[in-house]
Amino acid sequence: MNELFGFWSQWLRPSAGLPTVQWSLLLAAAAVVGYLCQRHTGLPKVVGYTLVGTLAGLAGFNGAVWPLQGIGLFLVELGIAIVLFECGGRISLRWFRHNPMVLVQSIAESALTYFAVYWTLVWLDQPTQVAGPLALVALAASPAVLTRVVADTRAAGPVTERAVVLATLSTLYALTLGSAWSEQMNRHAATLLDAISPAVVVLGVSILVAAVLTLVLRMALRFMSPTSENTSMLLLALIAAGSTVASHMGGSAPLAALLAGILLKQLNPRPWAWPRQLGNASSLLTMLMFVLVSTVAAQADWSGPVAGAVLALIGVRLVAKALGVAIGNVGSGASWRQALWVGCAMTPMSSIALLIASQFVVASPSTGYRIASIALPAILLMEILGAVIATVAIYRAGESSKPWAPLQRGRAGESNES
Amino acid sequence: MSLEAFSHSEPLTLGVELELQLVNTHDYDLAPYAEDMLRLMKKVPLPGSVVPEMTNSMIEISTAVCHSASEVLGQLTPIRDALVKSADKLNIAVVGGGTHPFQQWHERRIYDKPRFRELSELYGYLSKQFTIFGQHVHIGCPDANAALLMLHRMSRYIPHFIALSASSPYVQGQDTAFDSARLNSVFAFPLSGRAPFVLTWDDFGKYFDKMTRTGVVRSMKDFYWDIRPKPEFGTIEIRVFDTPLTIERAAALAGYVQSLGAWFLADQPFTPQEDDYLVYTYNRFQACRFGMDAVYVDPATGEHMPLREHILMTMDRIAGHAAAQGASNAMHLLRRETEAGQNDARWLRERQRQEQLLAEVSRQAAQRFRGTPA
Repeated sequence: MNELFGFWSQWLRPSAGLPTVQWSLLLAAAAVVGYLCQRHTGLPKVVGYTLVGTLAGLAGFNGAVWPLQGIGLFLVELGIAIVLFECGGRISLRWFRHNPMVLVQSIAESALTYFAVYWTLVWLDQPTQVAGPLALVALAASPAVLTRVVADTRAAGPVTERAVVLATLSTLYALTLGSAWSEQMNRHAATLLDAISPAVVVLGVSILVAAVLTLVLRMALRFMSPTSENTSMLLLALIAAGSTVASHMGGSAPLAALLAGILLKQLNPRPWAWPRQLGNASSLLTMLMFVLVSTVAAQADWSGPVAGAVLALIGVRLVAKALGVAIGNVGSGASWRQALWVGCAMTPMSSIALLIASQFVVASPSTGYRIASIALPAILLMEILGAVIATVAIYRAGESSKPWAPLQRGRAGESNES
Repeated sequence: MSLEAFSHSEPLTLGVELELQLVNTHDYDLAPYAEDMLRLMKKVPLPGSVVPEMTNSMIEISTAVCHSASEVLGQLTPIRDALVKSADKLNIAVVGGGTHPFQQWHERRIYDKPRFRELSELYGYLSKQFTIFGQHVHIGCPDANAALLMLHRMSRYIPHFIALSASSPYVQGQDTAFDSARLNSVFAFPLSGRAPFVLTWDDFGKYFDKMTRTGVVRSMKDFYWDIRPKPEFGTIEIRVFDTPLTIERAAALAGYVQSLGAWFLADQPFTPQEDDYLVYTYNRFQACRFGMDAVYVDPATGEHMPLREHILMTMDRIAGHAAAQGASNAMHLLRRETEAGQNDARWLRERQRQEQLLAEVSRQAAQRFRGTPA
């Protein structure tokens, strides 16, 4: 026997190691559960991914470290950056010129969400240093979840488009303010310049990286076809490089990607063909992101008071987003019914909220711990619940181009019985 | 149900309907915004009307009764401007053209209206494949018998109409090699093609009764003929035009129809024959396939000639009537393009050759529709 092992050991070679095997198996399980989830319940695959990540996190899987750092942080940032770049490309500044009420809608829902969550948490005896950052975390709707839901339901239409744009804008605000806030958490601002300098640095670096990324891509698109596989690979590689540089220089990687998407859309009005080209590579990355987020978020410590605060945050956020969208709906070209579904479609919280929460924890471990204790369960719940609510909203708005599978099977069953 | 009486209309008056594409401004695929567009357009006082079409990425606009091509353009312009404004508000674009170049028919959703649901149940996938966009031109006729005479005379010029309006070379992302591939989709419908050769309203009534007795037909709407009488308006309706990329061309085509009609009424230049239809399908195919480069077989003489030549020859013949109807500008626009062998299908192909991206072609077509050079 010993001889056999001795012989076999000669064949062993250094490899990527056990964590890689664990992560690969976890992703394989997520792919299967995501598929089954969609096949049998009609819910988006992201629900399945999140469930697998949650179970792994609850089971003590230690492949993801909290607060996010190293390769885990890079992967989440890259996943978010790709999604946000694409979502940024959906934002046409021209639209706000023709329909300023959409911008009003965005500002109303974001402001209302921030203040409603802030005051509710203060009312629940949370200190203001905790309530403020949590309100910022709550502000960000998740374009990542929403775009996955849209892809799974094959949705298109006014509710879908508006929800994606409003979710992206809320992310823009949350990333800018969240990054700036976390930068100044441990500083005593003596002057106004001290107070605003972190925001200026975050924004400045992000804008700079975004501008460079935009110019390089615009140059490439002068001689490369947007439908080419190589253009997609160039795009992925440049976003990866941009994310790394932006983070390294004190900017925000997702913010830079989002701004680059917006800028490129303005400078290069030609239609985008990358989302279809990016295909499975981008899907794998986003799946990894959802599993990672839920694995990390599931590591939160649960307790009674925390549960109360989490539920209050979720409830108030839901109402505030719907109300904000409704306030700005007047004259925005959408019906009241559509406004309701837009509000619902904006409820998911996911990777961006996690990233912002992670920044607070890194900036101030003591306050950050209290922030994370409420933020992580809220993110975990809303990654699943938000995806479900968004799916229902899209179906109820009549914007899915395929029927809800379980409903169809139910109807087929009824007709077979009769 | 018997055939309704043929209403009175002023001879040679015009009505134009345009079916238009609604596309998003992200990847320029069709976008289901018909309901939202209708809601916004309802608030704007306009001549004519804006109504839904079979699938919810389509919309149909129409003029009120017009007396000339310039009046058609005068009515289409504010409707187009209001459409563009509403589209801007919704962050979508409105585009002409007979087909959307790369839409997938199975992704379309039927507009929620009883008649469209009924048609969808009857025709299955054909109804979604009917996401094609045409221009219909109504022309007022003095009476019912004159309408049928006008209809069968006009049928000799169906290849002209097809070649001049052709704007549907691309279907589902592919160049079909046809200038007007749209009409191939219409052909799938059981009651499409040419109208029966009857020249009196009484005989037409008998034909209609026989058809209704079979249960296949319930109203005139069930006929998808290239030209059909429209008794409630007192017109005949020509339905072979692809929607052009611009309203200027749409108005010019209406002017061409009116000039032909004026020539028929004033000169009674020929009497239509059943035998005219011997070459009808061939001529129609040639025009769809080759557009301006088609061959035209004269139904009367059997002579073969380039369609382009026949169009120019016809334009010379009706020039006086065109001037009398105020359609000289319309004829000038069409003549210039005919001489150059140009139509919208060629423009679309040239753009695609340049851009290598059909979505970009759609974006530039949207710019053209709104009157802004691409």
